[in-house]
Amino acid sequence: MSAQSWSAGAQAIPLVTPADPTATRSILTEGYLTQPMVMAHAGWRSLHGIVTLDFEGLTQMRGELTTGAYGEGYVDRRHPHAYVHELLAGVEDSLEKTHLSLYAGRGFAPFGSDDPMVRPFVKYPVNHHLAQILERVLVVGAARVGPVIGEFGVFNGDEPLSPGSPPKYSRFGDSWSSRLTLLPARYVEIAGSVARVKSPEVPDGHGLDQNKSDVYTRYDRRTADSRLYGLLEWAHTKEHANGVISTSLTSWMGEAAACKRDIMAGLRIEGADRPEEERLADPFRTPRPPSDLSNLGVSHWTSLTLAVSAPRLLLKSFSARPFVEAARIYARPGDPPGLFDANLRYGSSSMWMYSIGVRLKVGTIHDRMGRYGAAVVPESGTQTHSNASHQMAGMTMPGSGHSSNAACTL
Amino acid sequence: MAAALCACGSDAHVAPSTDTTTVSNEPLTSAACPGVNFGKRPAPLTVTPGKAPSMQVLGAGSETARYTAEVAARGTTAYTTTWQVRSAAGNKIDVWDVSGATPTLVDSVIVANAITLGDVAVSDDGKLLVVATERSGGSIVVFDLADPRHPRQLSRFTNQETDPGVHTAEIGRVNGKLYAFLSIDPSGSAHAKLVIVDLSDPANPQQVYSKVAGNPYVHDTFLRDGLLFVALWDDGVDIWDVGGCGTGATPSAPRVLGNVHTVGGQVHNIWWYHDAAGGKRFAFVGQEGTGAIGSSSIGDIHVVDISDLTAPKEVASFNVDGAGTHNFSVDEANGVLYAAYYNGGVRAIDVRGDLKSCPPGQTNFSGQGGITRCDLRLMGREIGIGLIDQNRGAYVWGVQYTSGAVYASDMVNGIWKLKPAK
Repeated sequence: MSAQSWSAGAQAIPLVTPADPTATRSILTEGYLTQPMVMAHAGWRSLHGIVTLDFEGLTQMRGELTTGAYGEGYVDRRHPHAYVHELLAGVEDSLEKTHLSLYAGRGFAPFGSDDPMVRPFVKYPVNHHLAQILERVLVVGAARVGPVIGEFGVFNGDEPLSPGSPPKYSRFGDSWSSRLTLLPARYVEIAGSVARVKSPEVPDGHGLDQNKSDVYTRYDRRTADSRLYGLLEWAHTKEHANGVISTSLTSWMGEAAACKRDIMAGLRIEGADRPEEERLADPFRTPRPPSDLSNLGVSHWTSLTLAVSAPRLLLKSFSARPFVEAARIYARPGDPPGLFDANLRYGSSSMWMYSIGVRLKVGTIHDRMGRYGAAVVPESGTQTHSNASHQMAGMTMPGSGHSSNAACTL
Repeated sequence: MAAALCACGSDAHVAPSTDTTTVSNEPLTSAACPGVNFGKRPAPLTVTPGKAPSMQVLGAGSETARYTAEVAARGTTAYTTTWQVRSAAGNKIDVWDVSGATPTLVDSVIVANAITLGDVAVSDDGKLLVVATERSGGSIVVFDLADPRHPRQLSRFTNQETDPGVHTAEIGRVNGKLYAFLSIDPSGSAHAKLVIVDLSDPANPQQVYSKVAGNPYVHDTFLRDGLLFVALWDDGVDIWDVGGCGTGATPSAPRVLGNVHTVGGQVHNIWWYHDAAGGKRFAFVGQEGTGAIGSSSIGDIHVVDISDLTAPKEVASFNVDGAGTHNFSVDEANGVLYAAYYNGGVRAIDVRGDLKSCPPGQTNFSGQGGITRCDLRLMGREIGIGLIDQNRGAYVWGVQYTSGAVYASDMVNGIWKLKPAK
């Protein structure tokens, strides 16, 4: 195939994380190669392809120490993502002033905010499983008319069981989500999403279903040597069976980052509910699927994270950005409290977590992750979409959704 | 003929020997299972509805380092298991002297390589204690009860089929031979299953049968008169002939007789009720809905008429607002079902008479199941409520009636001894 446009890149983050205390009721310090990924886009006329391979299954199967995180059988560690994080093919076209797209494959359902992987903090927020629906087999259509983007997708409800496990193809179409995005001013986007997800934790179905909703507003202004970024997000998930609400989980999160002369500083504040589950002999793991439809109650996590990164070291298309993050985390019983007692679990209700690492990048990687085709928001917010999700490698284009070596990219 | 017995780990553990053949001017058998006589249909019973009184608490034995799980009692000794991790892991069996009003801890046993001991059962002859381990490689651990106050480990059975965990292990006798019926958790893409183990040589248990079962869970079984009732969650209740029908089925070659989907699914546990007059038409089915352990629960008791084993049907139900049921034990001589009700404490329900006969004002309609059922609560059948007046946040996992007392295992507090409702 002769590609009209293409891009490719790779990243990896050598990382050391001390957590004090963590689920072992003691201090742990661990090192990883986190977020090792290869990404590529290609486009030919109206046809497009996207692939993101994530190799965390090779480098951190035990999960990454992330106090408060949960999901996919991990707790207080972020789970490794699927090897095939995204693999989609799509068509895009314009009809008068309407830009249309239809993508199919494995990737992000149109719901919530960007994957935390492309945001200015290495540690994921607790709300990851409230604010994103990822690694599903899906078909997603999008339309953009002026400053309004609408998306609708259908997918399989089951979450990945492991980095290499295939989706439950027979469940394709049992879940759906939709997102409406407004671009009211330059650099600003406001989005609201709803989703109905069938039995995400029990692959054969008959587990708890989820009604999800999410609202966020995002600001992202970039110049040649600066960036100002902000994200405010509310996310809510109701878990239910037979029409009876089991658990109601809410999160509020605000994060901001400023960059000048390639020095970046960021701050994140989050308050998020977490469902407590049985644990295995390894206190960082939970049964997949769970033993029944009950949980051990809800915990509430409040965290404050500060991130600072130094200017990148550049060598042609290769870059290395050193960073540190420090997080102060508080846990308390939520509603209902169930059996959760932070002092019993951790030995303390307040915790520290630090991250020291280097973002290594080569080529062009995604600036945004979680939108396809007509749903990709141009960097300037209100600019006309220009088939922008597929640019030449090594270039950074406004609204590209990709980054290379421009100042203040991650 | 299969011997009747239930020493059911999560359903009361040592059933009274009320099996009888002295029933019935109207014996009822079915072609599908000529070996079982369901007795004559019980007469309707009218009860005057009223507020159920509190069950009197006789005493409590405290366990606060671990969460307590199931209880099994025989004679003057009770055994409780432990679950998950509190300040310590759920790897301990507590042995209680229950001869007095207050249970007294007399011994404990730590099970190696375990984090949850969800189930416990005593054999009908009192010689064996069987404990299930879950989520650390599933197994059953068999103890010799030559000294009932000091169990001695005889064997541990584990294989690939018991991974990742044995949720419950019921034990019972078929044609004189002791078996364990293991409900295995699903794991990853592997389905839940039922495993049957021959315990006739308890030092050397042998697996005789395994089958994928449950949607998505199989949580419990109930054996009596050679029939095995299997709780299949959203697939309802299966009734298997494992030797009771006289048609050649055995625990290693069971035969499915029938199935019933109770309203709402989530079938967790079963008790096949033999009333004092020999009637055997009703089975009680526990529904385990959603919940937050320690705080809340949901799930009803469903009454199923099994007199046609090939087409059992739900005829009545019992609901407690704001709480859900877990395991059962029945005082069959007096016709009282004791149900663990998690945050709803212990509930005593009068189950005498024909449970499918009630006036129109004492029924409920389930839109979900599309059926009208007798409502045991509206019928005034709740005759006792235990432990919700103790102000200690009781969360009751299991209950057992035996020897004139009711024992309740409370996840938060330990073990309670209560006076029966009647």
